Amino acid sequence: MAQELNLLATDNRGQSQLEAGMNLAGWDEVTQGTVLTSFEGDATGIANKKAEERTYSDFNSYTASVASWRVQKPVFNRDICIDCQNCWVWCPDSSILSRDKQMLGIDYDHCKGCEVCVEVCPTNPKSLLMFNEHADLEESLAAWPEKKKKEKK
Amino acid sequence: MAVKFDLNEREVWDGNYAASQALRQADVDVVVAYPITPSTPIVENYGAYVGNGYINGEFVMVESEHAAMSGCIGASAAGGRVSTATSSQGFALMAEVLYQASGMRLPIVLNVVNRALASPLNVRGDHADMYLGRDSGWIQFGAFNAQEAYDLALCAFKVGENHSVRLPVMVHQDGFITSHTAQNVYPLTDEKAYEFVGDFVPVDDMLDFSRPVTYGAQTEEDWHYEHKAKQHKALMDSRKVIDEVFAEFKEITGREYNRVESYDMEDADVVIVGLGSTVETARVAAKNMREKGVKAGVVAIRCFRPFPYDEVRDVLQNAKAIAVTDRSSPGGAMGAFFNEVTAAMYTSESRPMVTGFVYGLGGRDFSIEEAERIFAEQQAHADAGHITTEIQQFSGLRGPKLGFFKTARG
Amino acid sequence: MTEIRWHSRAGQGAVSGAKGLGDVIATTGKEVQAFALYGSAKRGAALRAYNRISDEQIFNHAKFMNPDFVLVIDPALAFTDNIIENEKETTKYIITTHLSKEELIAGIPSLQGKEDRVFVADCVQISLDEIGRAMPNAPMLGAFVKMSGMFELDYFLDAMKRVLAKFPQKIIDGNMRAITRAYNEVK
Repeated sequence: MAQELNLLATDNRGQSQLEAGMNLAGWDEVTQGTVLTSFEGDATGIANKKAEERTYSDFNSYTASVASWRVQKPVFNRDICIDCQNCWVWCPDSSILSRDKQMLGIDYDHCKGCEVCVEVCPTNPKSLLMFNEHADLEESLAAWPEKKKKEKK
Repeated sequence: MAVKFDLNEREVWDGNYAASQALRQADVDVVVAYPITPSTPIVENYGAYVGNGYINGEFVMVESEHAAMSGCIGASAAGGRVSTATSSQGFALMAEVLYQASGMRLPIVLNVVNRALASPLNVRGDHADMYLGRDSGWIQFGAFNAQEAYDLALCAFKVGENHSVRLPVMVHQDGFITSHTAQNVYPLTDEKAYEFVGDFVPVDDMLDFSRPVTYGAQTEEDWHYEHKAKQHKALMDSRKVIDEVFAEFKEITGREYNRVESYDMEDADVVIVGLGSTVETARVAAKNMREKGVKAGVVAIRCFRPFPYDEVRDVLQNAKAIAVTDRSSPGGAMGAFFNEVTAAMYTSESRPMVTGFVYGLGGRDFSIEEAERIFAEQQAHADAGHITTEIQQFSGLRGPKLGFFKTARG
Repeated sequence: MTEIRWHSRAGQGAVSGAKGLGDVIATTGKEVQAFALYGSAKRGAALRAYNRISDEQIFNHAKFMNPDFVLVIDPALAFTDNIIENEKETTKYIITTHLSKEELIAGIPSLQGKEDRVFVADCVQISLDEIGRAMPNAPMLGAFVKMSGMFELDYFLDAMKRVLAKFPQKIIDGNMRAITRAYNEVK
């Protein structure tokens, strides 16, 4: 949505350089004080709603995708995950999908591929691993490493 | 319920006390402050009103003026009526945040007790701090005495909070000359004052959880320019609201304010254009000059921003010689005020002669006698038909005569 | 327009005195101005405070004045400060001193020949006796009331009580006694 409306700075870098900039709102249409609403309509109690149920506005970064920023992506392996929520806590872009303390997977619209989730995953082997952006899910899961044995001291 | 404050119909207040009473009567919710001479008593008194139960507000003491204005922004964005006071170095430290307040369209009222900027360190009044704020996107009112510091503070809330304005407002008064000079002040009753200012009606307040908002968004070259243009237009358009508020204030008090004030201007040949308490001194001098047969008048700017170009041109176009007085070290240019007035006069048919005087820096006295001398010099320009001195001169300065820039006209 | 210049040291109450005088005079319907000239001054530094009194609104904000009255509330400043600065031929001086008028004038050449315009009262001693502290501002007001003839003493005392209303009764009473004594003792 945000991209369709040309709301992203990166997509319209200066009116003189890109014709697309001419389609943006003029001074008479921008919000007063650059105050931006997060949601459309009445947002009472919205904190208790799941992200996919919320009426995010076009100003909200939730409506913008950074999927193209990734070179590698984290892949989630449900069979190993212990639902410790560590990745959910650490993810800087709120891209770990978790419901009722159960890990569901990755929000690939907002994940930038930073690898923090993999780094903090405590399982053996890890429940999250980085693969190439174009890698197939089934093939990735098939290539998952075995449990590492503890080295003897 | 706040404790009733006993007021007399006629009080003897200095400018600081008068301003603090306006904050009390406007029922300001939050004052965030880092006090500095000579504006300290304004926020100190507000704190005492809170402490003694005269007002249900909150006084927040912070660690710097930068933090003070930042706190004001937070409280204002949250949806409260907010005010503070500062001067000089404090104003300078606040400067960064002043632009944030106006950019976010938060109607904070800042009482500025004008004081010189160091170095050399000086606690007395000149307009260096006021000039520093002139591009910050705030409305700027100038009070010439304690009564006006009170009246204009009340008007400031009403103007800034108007939903078609939504801009912060500075009310300036001269350090010591106004802030520490007690004079007769005729306050409104608490009821009348509050009724005039009205309830604070928030816009985009952050404490409205049904409509969460973001303040302080980043915009780059794709959006910044449009937002600043919109803000500038709001500031220019505030002129109409200011006139309306002044008219309403006159109805209830009989005290008249105009964005440009003029005195003895009906037939004036020679004029002093000034800001602040100097205006009143110049008015006395103009009266004296008229007794000597010189048609002298005074023009004063009540509303420094948005600058009243049209009104300045209209009131001055029949004058022959105009002296514009700048109470701030100009730092390598003509005085900023001189430039404004000259720009306005350049669009007139008559294009009267305009010279500039730097004066009163660091609280240097500006006497009636000196104002009379300046009038006499303007009369000499008028008689000669051309400017007979350098365009920029220095009033009340010791040492060899200093002046810069000469006219190339006639 | 009546103009008054106070010579004082920071802490002696000239600023409060000037403001108190303004407060009282305003109750008579006149317009007043009270201000002071001091910087980042410490207690004991010389300072000057000023009053203007007029039937019309006061527009003059200049510090410069040709005073009608010069009130000196510090004994030493009469000798060390230029108390006759910008004087007029009619300027009246009221000076705090333990000396007699003759002894004082003998020690201050600039006052010689102005005997009929110089008045003395020991405001420091009066305040010590009546208020318990060296606060010569209140007695000076009493002396001023006498020499200016601007008010009846009782009217002034009543008005001063209102100005001092926030102070404890003991302080108010002391001030009243001090004002009255100086009114009677100034010569």
